Amino acid sequence: MQFALSVAVDATLITLVLALAAFGLAVIYGLIGVINMGHGAMLTLGAYFTWWSVSAGLPFFLAVAVAAIGVGLIGLAFEHLVIRHFYERPFETLLLTWAFFLIATEMIKIVFGSDFRNVASPISGAWVVGPLNLPAYRALVCMLTLVLMAGTAFVLFKTNIGIKIRALVQNREVASLLGLNIARTYKLVFFAGSAVAGLAGGLIAPMLSIDPYIGNVFLVRSFFVVIVGGVGQLLSGTLIGSFLIGGTETIFALFSSQVIAQAAVFFVAIVLLRFRPQGMMRGR
Amino acid sequence: MTPSQQADAPRRWGKEGFWRGETLFAIILFAALALLPMLAGGYIVYILPQYLLFGMLAMSLALLWGFVGILSFGQAAFFALGAYALGLALGHWGPSGSYVGLLAAPLLGGLLAALAGYFLFSAGVRATYFVLVTLALSIIVEQIAVSQSQITGGWNGLFVDRIVLSFGPLGTLELFDDYAAYFFILPVVALAYVLLRWATTAKFGKVLVGIRENEDRLTALGYDISLYKTAAFALSGAVAGLAGALYGMHANFVSPSLAGVLFSTEVVVWVAIGGRISLIGALAGGVIVSSISNYLSSIIPDYWQLALGVIFILVIIFFKEGFAGAVTQTLRAARRRRQ
Amino acid sequence: MTASKREFGRASRRAVLQGMAMAGASVAAPALITRALAQDGPIRIGVISPLTGAWTVYGKAHSAGFELAVDEINEAGGVLGRELEIVIGDSKTEPRIVVEQANRLIRQENVDFLAGTFSSAERNAAGPVVRSGNKVLLYPTFYEGQEKEYAPGVCNPNIFMFGPEPTQQVWPHLEYMLSNFGKKFFMIGSDYAWPRVTNAVTKQKLQELGGEVVGEVYIPFNTPQYESVLRDIRQSGADVIFHSLTGSDTVNFRQQFAAAGMKKDFVLWTVDDEEVVTSGLGPDVSANDFVSFDYFMSIDHPNNAAFLERFRTKFGDDALMNTVGVAMYNAAHMAALAITKAGEVSTDALRQNLKGMSFDRAPQGPVRMREIDNQLVLPSYLMKVREGWTGVGDMFEEVQSFQSVEPLDARCDLPL
Repeated sequence: MQFALSVAVDATLITLVLALAAFGLAVIYGLIGVINMGHGAMLTLGAYFTWWSVSAGLPFFLAVAVAAIGVGLIGLAFEHLVIRHFYERPFETLLLTWAFFLIATEMIKIVFGSDFRNVASPISGAWVVGPLNLPAYRALVCMLTLVLMAGTAFVLFKTNIGIKIRALVQNREVASLLGLNIARTYKLVFFAGSAVAGLAGGLIAPMLSIDPYIGNVFLVRSFFVVIVGGVGQLLSGTLIGSFLIGGTETIFALFSSQVIAQAAVFFVAIVLLRFRPQGMMRGR
Repeated sequence: MTPSQQADAPRRWGKEGFWRGETLFAIILFAALALLPMLAGGYIVYILPQYLLFGMLAMSLALLWGFVGILSFGQAAFFALGAYALGLALGHWGPSGSYVGLLAAPLLGGLLAALAGYFLFSAGVRATYFVLVTLALSIIVEQIAVSQSQITGGWNGLFVDRIVLSFGPLGTLELFDDYAAYFFILPVVALAYVLLRWATTAKFGKVLVGIRENEDRLTALGYDISLYKTAAFALSGAVAGLAGALYGMHANFVSPSLAGVLFSTEVVVWVAIGGRISLIGALAGGVIVSSISNYLSSIIPDYWQLALGVIFILVIIFFKEGFAGAVTQTLRAARRRRQ
Repeated sequence: MTASKREFGRASRRAVLQGMAMAGASVAAPALITRALAQDGPIRIGVISPLTGAWTVYGKAHSAGFELAVDEINEAGGVLGRELEIVIGDSKTEPRIVVEQANRLIRQENVDFLAGTFSSAERNAAGPVVRSGNKVLLYPTFYEGQEKEYAPGVCNPNIFMFGPEPTQQVWPHLEYMLSNFGKKFFMIGSDYAWPRVTNAVTKQKLQELGGEVVGEVYIPFNTPQYESVLRDIRQSGADVIFHSLTGSDTVNFRQQFAAAGMKKDFVLWTVDDEEVVTSGLGPDVSANDFVSFDYFMSIDHPNNAAFLERFRTKFGDDALMNTVGVAMYNAAHMAALAITKAGEVSTDALRQNLKGMSFDRAPQGPVRMREIDNQLVLPSYLMKVREGWTGVGDMFEEVQSFQSVEPLDARCDLPL
């Protein structure tokens, strides 16, 4: 029983951290249909900006805010200079965001160097809840993830701009007839998605080594979270996708090697994709 | 398919001059390559076959990307599979495993591609999703190669001997010598080019282009689209697998990172720069970009990678058809001026 | 700046030109003039370092160690009256690129011998090249020892090993760890040959000493989350975590291990932490962990003090050195001594005279190349990470050390 409970806690932690890492991708892909291959680099940039701000003396959570805004602005610039001309061609945007990844990774190496960097965890130790050990910082990050998703839900469903964005996702022509500035809304979403990626990179930074490739470890997993979860199902899709990807790995790792567990996850994701091309959260 | 892609399609395919130009260029290129060892020696004769095999890998991607309009981020998986197939065959049977290995490499590459392709295409999985699945495919192959270390040597890699082909009474062909290897691999690459060229110009290729331009129309005409796409992907996988086997033999070594995402995406960069709509452009892209890369990266490591990234983004934005497309347009403009 | 830097630049320009020529040749096929071998020119050494790619972080110390030694040798008048010249090749941390670079250095740059490559996979990729090209390769990294079935990557008479293997790195310290912290070991490593062999070798000695392995897990590269592994460790009842994760995974795991509050319950002994990794971990995460290697910047040895002074003069006060960089440094010096002793530069002469060669000024203490299997006899240090360290100077505290630790005989057809 206790064992099952601790497995469940682990799976929850893995799911929510993965959901956080994938959320920026889900925002951009789900709302404006761009497969952002540069997502990994945005996570990395977030981690570096956080490290840089902490080194400059800022308190951790302020540093994460700086990282989120910084990466958001870089995303905005990239959208304005390049991506906005290619919204009609999903294939091209995929390649362009991959080029963004290549360039950003090299810029990081040139600007920040390639040594391992670290950001000290703002809270350390574990919370002991009955028989369970909850690593404090990870638990906090998981709660922040839930807050972030709840906040996004609020924006999307209860505010004026959120309603506009949803209208845009459902039908561009109608949205434009209603007087919605499509170009500006797209920009806003791209900024938001990049900023969320930067935020995630900053929050994840104390758990990982900060090097120019830190974002890569989440890149492919994030894609499968988004695809398996289903496009457009921003909140439930991301959570379900993260659970399927992260949970599968946890469970496979119980009775096979870690390597097999990771390969199995990708295999399961491909099979799911085949039989539910619209994602798990789409009824059709 | 988006409107803008349909718009420039007739311009690209209507002109027969493009095909004459490409054939002429291919003949000149392969003839020059055949004569090269008389002029240059040493390292160039050694290394060029490896770059040519990268070029063959690039052609296998150009078939998919340029002619069917589907992009694979996992070509390295087939390449590595081929290299492992030959390496294991040689390890198991010694020199007599050469034929088995050379046969198994394209078969396994083709089979894996066919399985993955049919599985996905028959469900009408979107082209952008296909990119991600092939990305995962290369990770899976890499991880299997790492984890099955009893067979593959794991992450530390596997040695692959140069092969000895025996032709019964006609004698044997040993590929230990650099020149022998050169003149064995060059014709294979040329044959692969001819095969792919034939596939793209025959009816098969026309159907593929039709699929790229308008999938619904071809469906209405009664073509089994998923079958055609699967066949193209399988052919691409087979060519990549054979190239991989010869590469493994030539480099004497294969390790899991040969299947990895980094190498897979490098192939995409080669083809984008060389020109996705032209097989010879892709071949040249693979050869030239990889050879320049490996020189400049020793001298200006970070800045070269950065420059490559910038070139890549510029090509995508301004020269959608890459180097080959730019050359074709220049030639066409020159011809128009003369008329 | 210094002698070797200038040559570096010269070599680079030539390499650019040759690069252009090569690129041109692949299209238009102009003849390339092969440079004649000049007997009175500099002695050329091809150095293959991970300048880009996943292990760039180790690449700096790797190439810096060799450059420093070459500078010292040239300032002292070179070898046989000839200067040493480095021709660098970037491995991109890719075995595929190592094959190309090793061939380029041998066939086109006409180097006299090679040094470098970083991982075992890179060394294995270079193995067939140095065998067929008949050049010596000086290999600097701590590695898994030599098994005949992996020839020519190991058991190759042309390859000399300047880093420790597991019996030198681990065995001397097992008794101390067992008697002070307990008999139950949990082993966690990256999923490839070095950690697996290291653990197998360690397990053998551990069981002889009455210890036991209560858990053994191998992690694929680039794993971001470790919940299930941490749970296994917690439930295993282990006393000591024996840790051989590499690269960024070692940092990822240790950050999460510390964050889970498990540091107080387990003693962690790592065989992959040197200055670069520990700097990446930071003082909170790394405090009180044990590390064993042949070299640390903080070891108290007169050779090391002199070495670090020269190193910092050349590369600045913040530059990091580690076991691999020092192995490259020793490799350059020992090769120079061997050439001097032979009186000529050739593969045979170098091979014969490296065997049995001693180097007393090695930063970690005197070392000697074994005649029988090309492995180095070197010191072995067990260090403990200080609490609240502020830099490499006070990072490690010596627990115990042994000079002149012999490796186990290579499992090859001896002598090599």
